[in-house]
Amino acid sequence: MSLLNKEYELYVSVKPVGREIRVLGIESTSHTFGVGIVEYSGGRVKFLANAYSQYKPTSGGIHPRESFLHHVNNAPSVLRKALELAKLGIKGVDAIAVAVGPGLGPCLRVGASLARFLSAYYGKPIVAVNHAVAHIEIGKLVSGFADPVIVYVSGGNTMILVQKNKKYRVMGETLDIPLGNLLDTFAREAGIAPPYVVEGKHAVDICAEWSHEYIALPYTVKGCDLSFSGLLTAALKIARETRGDKEKLGAVCRSLRETAFNMLVEVTERTLMLTSKNSILLVGGVASNTELRRKFEYIAEHYGVGFYGTPPEIAGDNGLMIAYTGLLHYLYGLIKEPNSVFIKQRYRLDEEEYPWLP
Amino acid sequence: MATIEGRNTILLSRGAEAEVYLVDFFGLRAVMKRRISKKYRAKLFDEVFIRNRTRVEARILSELYEAGLSVPSVLFVDEENGVLIVEYIEGVRASESFEKFDLGKATSISRRIGGFAARMHSLGIYHGDYTLANVLLRESEVYVIDFGLSGYSSDVEEYAIDLHLMARSIKASRPLDAEVLIKAMLDEYGSHYRGDYREVINRMKEISVRGRYIDREVRKSIMRERYIA
Repeated sequence: MSLLNKEYELYVSVKPVGREIRVLGIESTSHTFGVGIVEYSGGRVKFLANAYSQYKPTSGGIHPRESFLHHVNNAPSVLRKALELAKLGIKGVDAIAVAVGPGLGPCLRVGASLARFLSAYYGKPIVAVNHAVAHIEIGKLVSGFADPVIVYVSGGNTMILVQKNKKYRVMGETLDIPLGNLLDTFAREAGIAPPYVVEGKHAVDICAEWSHEYIALPYTVKGCDLSFSGLLTAALKIARETRGDKEKLGAVCRSLRETAFNMLVEVTERTLMLTSKNSILLVGGVASNTELRRKFEYIAEHYGVGFYGTPPEIAGDNGLMIAYTGLLHYLYGLIKEPNSVFIKQRYRLDEEEYPWLP
Repeated sequence: MATIEGRNTILLSRGAEAEVYLVDFFGLRAVMKRRISKKYRAKLFDEVFIRNRTRVEARILSELYEAGLSVPSVLFVDEENGVLIVEYIEGVRASESFEKFDLGKATSISRRIGGFAARMHSLGIYHGDYTLANVLLRESEVYVIDFGLSGYSSDVEEYAIDLHLMARSIKASRPLDAEVLIKAMLDEYGSHYRGDYREVINRMKEISVRGRYIDREVRKSIMRERYIA
């Protein structure tokens, strides 16, 4: 836990607060149930705790009901662990933040119910956080980039964004499936997953090392938008013909990864030229992929701009990012009553204005 | 290539994918577009990518030129090096001048833009980045440039995207007259498009509500039409 107890300068200016403010954040949008705690004092943010438990399917993909049951069973222990790590009681927390969407309905309900309970029972203000915004906000905090081109890639999202007029503006996004979903679905259908991730490496990355060959696959970029479904179909078709030939399957994995990442890098380049920003921020679950980071490091160097890819412990879903984004809401007075906090399965990050954005 | 570079070569623009130069091509003023090799791509992919995009752009440009559409003519292609040299067209980008014209002239330009799209689509070709920035005006003539994202397709979706992008571009340039100008573009499109133009126009409406700042009720009402019809 290298990031714990480190301090970060808060890049937005808010009215000075005389005392410390601690926010507890709950994440339960998909496969991860996480609780994080942050502390704010004197213009600096400190990470106190980041506890989580992950639902890992033994076969197939995420089953919403199974993931929901996992969250229900693990919520109390994760919450307790986070409070222990932070050496706090729930009374020492100033506000409860919860990710209300986007995500899987049953899973979201676990986090929302816990948050409403904590808020109502202990009389703490509650903050509703957009999960996607949280991924970006924590990336901005840790990188120190105030106005980057943001590349958000995870199992449920693939977007290129910039900030404008207090809103997130989507410059380009996937027209069908997200990048993480592409890799997971391919791995599952090709028979190399689950487990999807072994020792921080994705099944597709492991498989890609079995070969040094490349196969041409469909490449679909429309302006700044991406489409991965044709690529998936084509890659699976070839994968099925390999019939257990490890080296051939390796070539498919290698080419699939190369094609998908090249597409993403191309639209990022285009956005960079279009907006003249001076940094690139890579966030979301797929941000910890070393091959993707290598490609981004190349273009950052080529254009002479900054690059930061969030480290694995905050790249994947976590409670810390919800706590931190909750803190931003809290500092700007965006708090709610527990009976007005509802989950939103479809919750776009460009729907609302966020007062701390440039 | 060595003879082209170095002499009277002026960099016009540097994009994400290519560098564009004004060059002297055997005494002729020409535009050279050179696709840049990217280190982040595997070597094979980089070569295939550059070769294919250069080839498609050159092929489409010559096809349109032969069909009598106002595009720059292709002078030279070097697929291996990703170099394309085309005729230089002395004109102003519509994105820079469109807002200054009186309504009559703007309407006539919009009509030509619609007519161009219809004739291009009738050949099974889409532009992929059809905006005012890629329209050049020389006196009363309308030229379309930069076919870097163009392709062959019989899918009305691609055609509708072209019209949608242009409509959005017109709206950004002249918000007050946009309705009249877009109608002029679409009317002209309808009278030149070979297939059923209503199909393209309906899809264009649908694309505009797929957008991200659209009221849910508006979106529902338009999407509903698709299923009823």
